[in-house]
This record gives sequence, structure tokens and C-alpha cells, in this order.
Amino acid sequence: MAFNTALYARRRRRNGLAMGLSVAATVFGLGWLVLILGVLLWEGFSGLSLAVFTEMTPPPGAAGGLLNPIIGSLILTALAVLFGTPIGILAGTYMAEYGRYEKLTSIVRFINDILLSAPSIVVGLFIYEVMVAPLGHFSGLAGAVALAVIVIPVVVRTTEDMLLLVPNPLREAATALGMPRSVVVTRVAYRAAKAGMITGVLLAVARISGETAPLLFTALNNQFWSLNLNAPIASLPVVIFQFALSPYADWQKLAWTGALIITLAVLALSIMARVLAAQRKMS
Amino acid sequence: MSTVASMTTPTVTHAPVDTAGLAEKVSIRNLDFLYGESRALKGITLPLYKNKVTAFIGPSGCGKSTLLRVLNRMYDLYPNQRAEGQVLFDGEDILSPKQDLNLLRARIGMVFQKPTPFPMTIYENIAFGLRLYERLSRAELDEKVEQALARSALWDEVKDKLNANGLSLSGGQQQRLCIARTVALSPEVILFDEPCSALDPISTAKIEELIDELKADYTIVIVTHNMQQAARVSDFTAFMYLGELVEFDTTTKMFTTPGDRRTQDYITGRFG
Repeated sequence: MAFNTALYARRRRRNGLAMGLSVAATVFGLGWLVLILGVLLWEGFSGLSLAVFTEMTPPPGAAGGLLNPIIGSLILTALAVLFGTPIGILAGTYMAEYGRYEKLTSIVRFINDILLSAPSIVVGLFIYEVMVAPLGHFSGLAGAVALAVIVIPVVVRTTEDMLLLVPNPLREAATALGMPRSVVVTRVAYRAAKAGMITGVLLAVARISGETAPLLFTALNNQFWSLNLNAPIASLPVVIFQFALSPYADWQKLAWTGALIITLAVLALSIMARVLAAQRKMS
Repeated sequence: MSTVASMTTPTVTHAPVDTAGLAEKVSIRNLDFLYGESRALKGITLPLYKNKVTAFIGPSGCGKSTLLRVLNRMYDLYPNQRAEGQVLFDGEDILSPKQDLNLLRARIGMVFQKPTPFPMTIYENIAFGLRLYERLSRAELDEKVEQALARSALWDEVKDKLNANGLSLSGGQQQRLCIARTVALSPEVILFDEPCSALDPISTAKIEELIDELKADYTIVIVTHNMQQAARVSDFTAFMYLGELVEFDTTTKMFTTPGDRRTQDYITGRFG
């Protein structure tokens, strides 16, 4: 066989070039990410202390912590999951189990996908219009509802996807024993899809724990300790937003620490979701 | 010609059956089945005799599995599928819209091609179905679970690990667990949809032996690709081709002196 050295060398050069560009692009992209995380860890850890978890947000110039926004964020997130998860799971169940072949399902899926990628500020504005404006004041409840609106499409999507992964023969086998549809869904399909569905909820929690925009219009913020859901309530993202933009060095320090806490919480959730997903694959 | 046929024809192990005096447990009458506009079964008329094993054989796509899935109305789970005609089960038309499907499926059990244990313990796999129909004490439940597992020749292998996940069993054991699950409900008819096609020869032999024992109590229908299997386990054989029933007779007759040329060609492996 005639071996064209020039042709071969050219192909090698091209390959080298393509690979060089790919590596450069990856390094460029990852570089910024590492930089962001590095600064976050550096700034955040240096401000971390017990006081952060035990004291209220301080006025400028005084010492203080992040207790009220941490608790506020936990309450808002828990309520949002409480409101959003049942709706999301029921809708996803309808789409995968009851209405799999219905036209309504494809319409809902299409709209749900839009909602999934809708800018969260739109959700905030919407809840402002339907809850905050009519009631005349900002409230923790409105914040939780806004976050729930973000939770729903994530849970709908993962529930449907996970139930669709449950093999049909399993449903047929349950049906063949004379089980009504409701038992087939709740006792067999849910059980087979459990890990994936929980992963979906965890991802939804990760998604809302850093949301700031919808809370600015709804829960607003609170400088003081308050668990009243009918009044403005503090949350980590909004406090970070407010403190980071302030001219006070100690506020800025607390903002970094708050950002670190959220990042670590989301990291923990992602790891949990991954572990669950791995379990699902094994079984 | 006939010598060639006899050399390659699978051996029938059962004694010839006399059809006179047999009770028809299920009577399929002039049954058509449609997937949307396409007709998958055309005018099938067929008896299923009580306490006998009937095999449906035929090449892929001939409609044998479709026919089986009409018998417990499994097709109802999917849109655009419908059956026309009559299927009388103890004289009652199961195709009637008034038919209670859950009750029907409890009386006509089904075992699938691939073993499908539920993602729960071995014990629960069986107790699950029982609890749907009966309020039982723990002791009664334990007893019924044991009976079902014993009936399916699985008890000795699993009695020490009833709390292990059903998915941890081997393929053949999983399939026997599925049979146990079906038997536990004491159905009257059991439908087997190629129950051994995913199993090794030893597990296959066990399942076939089991089918032979089960027919004392149940009316059995088995869809199979394996003609040796049909010859070994069945009393009656129905040969289907392109959605039609070509021939139905005792297995002995079908595998020795089939009436139709197509049956003979299929049985001797000339097509399909």
C-alpha cells in the first residue's frame, strides 16, 4: 500500500490542533469556576465562626451572625417542598401512568418545560401580583409559594421520567394479579422509581435554595428574628444580596459566609442525589 | 416425505387425549383483534379444556401472544386496541364492558416471558397479591405463602431467606416466584407467555415439570416458540399463522399427522 506521509502528517497536525483547542476551552471554562469557588472558600471560611449560626444579622459596624436568614431559608425551603412536591408528584404520575397516551399529557409536558426554564424573577413577579399586592404586604408565605412554583416543574419532570423508566412488564405483572391501577402505581411503580423520584426532590431543593429574585418580590427580608409567615422573613440569598452590595466590610464578610453555607448545602444535596442515583442503578 | 417429517418432528410425551367428555373452561368464538386499523387476529374459534394444557405455537407475529393477552384483557391497558367476538369463560363473556377486570385477572392469572418480581421481599411478592383479596392473620398469610412457594417448587430454596429481595434470586427462581405469586391467588386459568424463553435448560425443565403438575388444579395455556416444549408439556396445540388459527387438535395428532400442510412445514422446521 502506498503510504502518503504528507497526508498522514497533515491529519496528525489537524488532530493536534483540535485537541489543543478543546483542552484550552476546558481549562478556560474550568479556570473561572475554580477561581469562583476558591475565592468563595477563602472569603467564606475566614468569616465562619460559631456566632454565624447563633446570632442575628447585625446592624452595620456591629458583630452578628446569620441565624435568622438560615432559619428563614430552611422554613421557606421546607414549605416550598411541602407545597410543591405533592402537586409535582401527582401531575407526573398522571402523565406517566394515567394519561400517558392522552393529548393533555403532551400539552402539560410542553408547558412544564417552559416553566422549568422560566426566569425565576417572572415567578416572583407573578406571586407578587397574586399574593403580595392583594394582601398589601410582603410575607414569608408568599416567598414559600414562589419557591413552590419553581419546585413543581422540576418534580413533575423527574417523576414522569422516572416512572417512564419503570418497565411495562412490571405494571402488566401487577395488573395480571388483579390489582387496580391505584395499587399498581403506588405499590409497584412508585417503589421501583423511588430513588429517582427522591433525587428529583433533592435537585429541586438545591435549585431553590439559592434563588434570590422570587424572594425579593415576596418574602423580602427581615433584620430581626421572626417566624411569622404573614410578615417578611429573612433568607440567606436575599441577605447575601443586601449585604454584598452594602459598603460595610463586616456585612460583606457575612455575605461571603452565607454564600459558602448555601454552596456547601447544595453540594451535600447533590452528593445525596448522586448516591441515590447510584443505588437505583445497582438495584 | 413422511419419513423426513417423522425424523424431525418433536416427540410427544403425553398419552393421546380423548376430547369427548372434556369440559370447555374457555370458549373463544369468532374473535377478531385490532391494533388501530390493523387486524392482528381473524375469526379465531378455539376451546380451552379444563385441567388441560393448551399450547399456542406459530412463527413470530402470528398473533399467539395477542390471543393470550385477550384472555385476561391485558390489552385494555393500552389505547387503540380492541377485541371483537366472544370469549366465554365459564359461559360468561369476558369481552363484555360489564366485566370487572380486576376480578377477571384474579381468576385468570398470567406468567410473563421475562421474570418480573416486584421490587420487594420474596415473602411480600406473594403476600402482596393475597392481601388485596383476603383479610388474613399473619399466621394464615404465612401458611398461604408457604403453600404457594411449595406448589411452585421454590420453598426449599428460599425458606431461609424469605426476607431477601425477590430480585436477588436467579432467573429460574424468579420465574418460579412469579408462578408462586400467581398460584397464591388460586386462579382457575393460568396463562404462560413464553415462560422459559429467558431461562437456561435446567430451569426450563423445572418450569415444564411444574406446568405438568399444575394442570391437575388449573386450566393452562402456554405460548411458546419452542416446538419441543409444546410437544412435551401440552395436551392440545393450536397452530397460528398470520393472525389465523390454522389448526387445532390434540398435541399427539398435531405432531404426528397434522391436517394442514402449513402445520407440517412449521413443525418440521421448514419455516418460522
